[in-house]
Amino acid sequence: MGISRRGVIGSGLAAGVFAPMVRRANAAPGDAGTLRTVMQGDLRVFDPIWTTANITAYYGAMVYDTLFAIDEHFKPQPQMVDKWSLSDDKKTYTFALRDGLGWQDNTPVTAADCVASVRRWAARDGGGQVMMQFVKDISAGDDKTFKIELTEPFGPVIDMLAKPTTPDCFMMRKKDAETDPFQQVSARIGSGPFTFNESETRPGSQYVFNRWDKYVPRKEPPSGLAGGKVVSLPKVIWENIADEQTALAALQSGEIDFYELPPIDLLPQLAADPNITLEALNKTGNVGIARLNCLHPPFASVEARQAMLYLLNQSDFMKATFGNPKYYQTCASYFGCGTPMQTDVNTDWFKHGVDLAKAKELFTKAGYSGEPVVVLQATNIAFMNNSAQLIAGQLEKIGVKAQLAASDWGGVVTRRSVMEPDDKGGWDVFITWGSAYAFSDPIGLLALAMNGKKAWYGWPTDDAYEKLRMEWAGAADDAARKAIGDKMAALGWNDVPAVILGQWVSPQAWRKNVSGFIGIPEIIPFWNVKKT
Amino acid sequence: MGAYIARRLLSTLLVMALVGVFIFLLLHLAPGDPASIIAGDNASPAQIFKIRHQLGLDAPLVVQFARWVWQLLHGDFGVSIFSEAPVMELIRQRLPATLALTSTTISFAAILAVGAGVLAAWRAGGLLDRVLMGFAALGFSVPVFVVGYVLIYVCAIWLRWLPVQGYVPLSGGLWPWASHLILPSIALGLAYVALIARITRASMLEVLSEDYMRTARAKGASTGSMLFHHALKNAGVPIVTVIGIGVALLISGVVITETVFNIPGLGRLTVDAITNRDYPIIQGVIVVFSGTYVLVNLAVDLVYTLIDPRIRY
Repeated sequence: MGISRRGVIGSGLAAGVFAPMVRRANAAPGDAGTLRTVMQGDLRVFDPIWTTANITAYYGAMVYDTLFAIDEHFKPQPQMVDKWSLSDDKKTYTFALRDGLGWQDNTPVTAADCVASVRRWAARDGGGQVMMQFVKDISAGDDKTFKIELTEPFGPVIDMLAKPTTPDCFMMRKKDAETDPFQQVSARIGSGPFTFNESETRPGSQYVFNRWDKYVPRKEPPSGLAGGKVVSLPKVIWENIADEQTALAALQSGEIDFYELPPIDLLPQLAADPNITLEALNKTGNVGIARLNCLHPPFASVEARQAMLYLLNQSDFMKATFGNPKYYQTCASYFGCGTPMQTDVNTDWFKHGVDLAKAKELFTKAGYSGEPVVVLQATNIAFMNNSAQLIAGQLEKIGVKAQLAASDWGGVVTRRSVMEPDDKGGWDVFITWGSAYAFSDPIGLLALAMNGKKAWYGWPTDDAYEKLRMEWAGAADDAARKAIGDKMAALGWNDVPAVILGQWVSPQAWRKNVSGFIGIPEIIPFWNVKKT
Repeated sequence: MGAYIARRLLSTLLVMALVGVFIFLLLHLAPGDPASIIAGDNASPAQIFKIRHQLGLDAPLVVQFARWVWQLLHGDFGVSIFSEAPVMELIRQRLPATLALTSTTISFAAILAVGAGVLAAWRAGGLLDRVLMGFAALGFSVPVFVVGYVLIYVCAIWLRWLPVQGYVPLSGGLWPWASHLILPSIALGLAYVALIARITRASMLEVLSEDYMRTARAKGASTGSMLFHHALKNAGVPIVTVIGIGVALLISGVVITETVFNIPGLGRLTVDAITNRDYPIIQGVIVVFSGTYVLVNLAVDLVYTLIDPRIRY
């Protein structure tokens, strides 16, 4: 049973002979040019109109195409559309499709396909539903032209068709687009730059896309989601690696090439790796908010809501979750910072800073009488978990009784829809976030509406604000929208339907032999990407 | 024996039915709504209501339960709320990876642990015993995910001997298949090595002190024959019991291991389904797990008759 010298030497020789063989056997698979990535989550749903999951919108951007797309300056540009015009009375939009468009089943894209697609998208999209209130008819002319006729001018039609926020207005074949908007489309055939490779896809494990060689890109250089979608990669594989540490190890070992959301606490490890590039592709990032329930005390009172502005310090929330100031900023703009709608109107509360005495005084004015304030705490999401605890701590400091209601995010999304008071399963505060870009769209983002029980969770009411929101929709140009937006922000910070907790970016990581990623909010495009 | 197996199989069905009822109620009474998750953060309550109606989740609980039972009686586990794929198909796709992981783990654990336990008992109180039992204590104390990360760092990133993550089916080649299972099997198996080794040692110590072992030694039996032929067979019942328990416990262990090593098995399927409140998947997988659990116990009971001829059913 002893260990002999001969045995040790033999083992050493064996290791010397076999280790290189093992290494060779484990070298990257022979699929040069294939990009292996780990995206933000598992791709469970393949209908980008049916769900608003971002990962499904990413899938949509691979397989489908859009009529318009935003460029790097967030301006809409034609994508599938060649030419378009607006009648003098600003009530009729006419679109002509560009040449070379075809479905991946080798049939041509027609105007009838687009009409059905726009209708289905509008049935599911918040902004689309508003647009349809102004629409008299959407109809095809010949195979390549179609019209949107309005009852009265509605400014953001092109912006809506181009918007990258989910659900994006992806074009589908007529027979797919005629599916009930509340039923999933089962076909996976689009007219985009990649085809979905179902035979190599393993649900829950990997999703495979092939370059579609018949795709005809626009001639313009790529800019944001607009311009030519020229694909260099023959194949893109989305690996579904749920464990962050494992995904990071896979990136460092070269098993994957791109990691969309490396955990913030492991970024220093990636930054120190000479083989890895670390860069935030979405420069405007995300805005975190604490949403307040305006239906029941204490936040039915505007004073209690205003008190929250003096109670919460954005830096505390950002530090608690994101640590490094390189990745976050404080921001008081009602429409997010770095967006076309950024404004600092009515932000004295922010410039004033935290003032516990003032917050306490406002709660007293609101008639606060010691009832518990229920803060929904999604324990499985770090930002929400940390922020809920910070809010509860701050409330306790001014004598407001905070009650954390812990559950996972699934539990929060159910409870937040309850309109009843706390003792009947309701709530007072919940935490969430959205892309800063989305926060600049008062029509598209339901969280920016204040039409009472028709509004998003929290159900704030302000008729004057709502009037402005509809005016914004009808505004002729960006300058007019900005001016109306400033008025909305002024009212918004008086009403305080939500408190901003800060704005942050989430960097992406990829290996140095990969280049060409296009930085844009909401979507990670894989055209223009090269791997050497 | 035949009647005994038939009775046990019938009781398996009963257990699965009870588990089914319990899980159904647990899931549907717990907070969480797949319709809200599907609709997304920007959805209006009206949109969520419409999705809930489409999915049949607004029907009374009794009606939903009756629908599910009716499907089960027709051998249908339903379809995933999210992907709309048949649950049976999803389980069929994920089963091979989980079976590969559990079978390699339990084989590795049983072979190593029984050997270590026998040796430790043979050298009880000596250095070898202390070293082996020390490793056993360590294996039992360190969580699976810590072992997993250490193995990944050393064997995959530092030495680059084995892949970090993933699973390749056996049809993809023997070495690619095996190389993706070595680290997860070690990580998952260490706790079972510790458990089985300690039980083997204790059971062997008891047997080695019996008179018939002294007789075997007096008759000139070799150490190997004495340990592995005479003693191990007589110490076998508790060892098989603990291996059986180990197989059952693996069901929970695979959830973590499959996540750490990115193996697309039933564990990952379950975790993802729970996060999304994908009720049909959770219900289907748990019914399968409960059936497996009961059948493993039945198999263990039957193995007793092979080890100890005195046991009859």
